[in-house]
Amino acid sequence: MCASCGYPAAPGHWTEAGAATAPDRLRARFRRAQVLKAVLQGSGLVAHDGGLVPGIQLATLSGNQTIVPDLEQLWIAAEQMTGRAIDPLDPRFWGGDG
Amino acid sequence: MAKTEGRIRLTLLGGYLGSGKTTWLRHQLHAGTFGLVHVVVNEAAEIPVDDALLGGATGLTVLAGGCVCCTGRADLVAALRDLCDRRSSVADPSERIGRIVLETSGLADPAPIVAALRADPILARHIVIGEIVVAVDAAHGLAQLSEEPLGRRQVEAADRLILTKLDAAGTEAIAKLQLALRLLNPGATLSAAVMGSEMALPEVPSGTLPPQLPPLPDGETEPLLPMHLSLGPEPDWPALGVWLSALLHARGDQIVRVKGVVQTPAGRLLLQTVRRVVQPPEILPSGGDRGGLDNGIVVIGRGFQPEALHASFRHFLNLTDS
Repeated sequence: MCASCGYPAAPGHWTEAGAATAPDRLRARFRRAQVLKAVLQGSGLVAHDGGLVPGIQLATLSGNQTIVPDLEQLWIAAEQMTGRAIDPLDPRFWGGDG
Repeated sequence: MAKTEGRIRLTLLGGYLGSGKTTWLRHQLHAGTFGLVHVVVNEAAEIPVDDALLGGATGLTVLAGGCVCCTGRADLVAALRDLCDRRSSVADPSERIGRIVLETSGLADPAPIVAALRADPILARHIVIGEIVVAVDAAHGLAQLSEEPLGRRQVEAADRLILTKLDAAGTEAIAKLQLALRLLNPGATLSAAVMGSEMALPEVPSGTLPPQLPPLPDGETEPLLPMHLSLGPEPDWPALGVWLSALLHARGDQIVRVKGVVQTPAGRLLLQTVRRVVQPPEILPSGGDRGGLDNGIVVIGRGFQPEALHASFRHFLNLTDS
């Protein structure tokens, strides 16, 4: 890698590959924040991404907070803050019994 | 060809000991399939043999005395960094090598190699992992798959499975092996070769029963299940990202592979993972959707209920503020 200009750039996080222009990127961030808010409901965590500062802000209801660069780090932080991983196959996400 | 932004494509060639990797590669080099290519050969044994056979490559590096998926990983990273350095110092882009073929030793598991290449800060910027090709010996493949956890892991990691030595195996054995491979890795394309040249895959006679693969001692006893998830005509990439990243974080050990093509505002993205490692999505040329396979992903894994996965996927993709 060139130390001055950073080319070739490291590929960004894979979840951010779906948008190439600035408006698309912002739209994707807002949609991501919307989905995260709904997913984290009931887990004791709140995620916020207003589109102004880079990263996603993650906080517990008691005020412990952090900023993570991408979704991969978000799930790691969420596990650290609540003591357990958010599992999409948890019945509360799909209404099953186990 | 997909955009690689100046990065080198790397083809990972794996397969069990004696499965015909070198023979296949030798023919591809002879036929010029890969263009300007540098071949990296890894031999677990101290004495390299294969390099004598691979004359057709633009350049050749031999890593002997250690398997690159475990003990020789640092050597592999160093060798590839050196290759990238040398390539960058060639001024004329048309003279630069466009591809690296990494022939692993027969004892290598492809997944840790992919993880090592992605984790290295220099290689992540220079190398795109294009394809994982795994050779399977038509005569002995079935026995290896029934006895060797490693043989199964190699097959599970493949994008493309090549049945080799077709001429040395009986029709029934080939049919059974094909069914076994379909069972272990339903997402991979399957083709056949004799001495490296492509052959038509023999048809499986109707009524052939898939072989019973016995459970292996490493605990992975359940068969892999392929699940196809459709994203609809206008895929919601951010929601897919939230769902899949959470799933890989919580259930990474159970999700062996995810593969799919998704249309996004940035273009058609090729999404693929090997275990927990997600490869940076490649932008594919537009309009290449053959057979309407776009906007769906295949999740291959074990140890969970398929209904739970489907329901959870639908739930995440339909989330709103309400």
